[in-house]
Amino acid sequence: MDGREMKGIGRWKSAPVFLGIASFAAILLVWESVVRLGWVNPFFVSQPSAIAASLSRSAQSGELWRNLAVSLREFAIGYGASVVVGFLAGALAGRFRTVEYALDPFLWFLYSAPLIAFYPIFVIWFGLGIPTVIAIAFLLSVTQITFSTLSGIQNVNPLLLRAAKSFGATERDVLWKVVLPASVPMVIAGLRLGIGRALMGVVVGELFGATAGLGYSISYYGSLLKTTDMLASLVVIVVLGVLCTQALSALEARFDSWRTGPDS
Amino acid sequence: MFRRISSSNYRLLTSTLTLMAFLTIWEIAPRVGMADATYTSQPSRVITAGLEILSTGGFGRDVYVSLSEFTIGFALAIGIGVPLGLLLGRFLVLRYLLDPPIMAIYATPHLALLPVIVVWLGIGMQSKIAVAFVGGVIPILVNTMAGVRGVERSWVVAARSFCAGEWDVFVKVILPASLLSVVMGIRLGVSRAVLGVVVAEMYQSQTGVGSEIMRYGSEFRTDYLLFYVLLVSLFGFAATSAVRALEKTLWTGGK
Repeated sequence: MDGREMKGIGRWKSAPVFLGIASFAAILLVWESVVRLGWVNPFFVSQPSAIAASLSRSAQSGELWRNLAVSLREFAIGYGASVVVGFLAGALAGRFRTVEYALDPFLWFLYSAPLIAFYPIFVIWFGLGIPTVIAIAFLLSVTQITFSTLSGIQNVNPLLLRAAKSFGATERDVLWKVVLPASVPMVIAGLRLGIGRALMGVVVGELFGATAGLGYSISYYGSLLKTTDMLASLVVIVVLGVLCTQALSALEARFDSWRTGPDS
Repeated sequence: MFRRISSSNYRLLTSTLTLMAFLTIWEIAPRVGMADATYTSQPSRVITAGLEILSTGGFGRDVYVSLSEFTIGFALAIGIGVPLGLLLGRFLVLRYLLDPPIMAIYATPHLALLPVIVVWLGIGMQSKIAVAFVGGVIPILVNTMAGVRGVERSWVVAARSFCAGEWDVFVKVILPASLLSVVMGIRLGVSRAVLGVVVAEMYQSQTGVGSEIMRYGSEFRTDYLLFYVLLVSLFGFAATSAVRALEKTLWTGGK
């Protein structure tokens, strides 16, 4: 469908990239100029040049790197643990239906609960700051990865399973040579969605129960009504989110050729 | 088949048994001194706390405030997300222009905007409505866009060859064909909007379910905290299930 639509605008392959950059540039330009012209109060929206200056200031003082390091560490540990636990739980639940049914009520509770509400209890159990944030990031992300792994394993093409079995494959062969490879695309999709949720957990955890990190610094500057510094931290989070999602999308595209199903 | 055909009775039995086992351990552990009930609470205490909360007058007001924030914010998300998604799905240049900023917002944890929104809109209901809106609008917009793009090209061509105008194609072909993706976007948006309202209320607020959660949390009244958390989870689960049921009806009802 896209290919045909393209005719209207010419066979110019770089059009999306060009227009995308143009749109970002336009947003920055309008933002900067409405503030300069005095149409909008910079107290509320700041301005791109001031945010850039604030970023370079905090990069030079080391504050930016300290906050980034804290947030990244929390993210890496929370997300890493959720990948291991979520994949194992999802694989077990996909293989044994008793496990699936047993986990079901807890997974649904965790998935729909506002987990951040538990942060005062987490602070008591694990301590203020990094451990609490890791716990929240882990819990937000683990359900997503479990669900995706589970449905990836459940939706393996039954024809493949029958073919393997009729050639004398054992349960173990089926698991390692058919089920796991066939569920890779769904697992990767789960990993991508999990990244978003873990990042959310880090930021929200830091808004409430932390003393350092990017989320904390947004909240800190927000309470001082320092809009420029607050938006500078937000920009870093946006960039982080885009980079993580892009990396996983690239991985997803690479594994896309593994996709198996009745339609392929 | 890799797995035996599932029987819904077996499912119900297993889920109920593990849930009962969990509740029993939770109830007994503090009684035999294996856990501190102040921090872990107990099912019986949560029920007592729930009954107490329900009998006080403040409960109705808190639920009313949170529900209206959610309803207004989410209605705005649908009202703006769907038409904008339809436009972006239909007009390529518009999509190329707006796609990068939308994707950047999509990849950002939307609750990071919370302190910014509080600075802009204050600590009243407006900021919660805005957070619910931001949470809900992005999945709705993205899925509507994808739905329009996924409409079978030959249907559009067929309609055109029977002299349908641009407007006819839009209303009679594209709109019905992308309805399912729109509803799916709404389903994904619901839980994000619910979470948005609660977290925004926890962050800065005087009333609402989230502010109660915050108050009981800082007082370590875990029983009361858990009652509200269960309430929110139940609401999120029920709302998501309702939209999922609508989705099922659309799948089967549309032949």
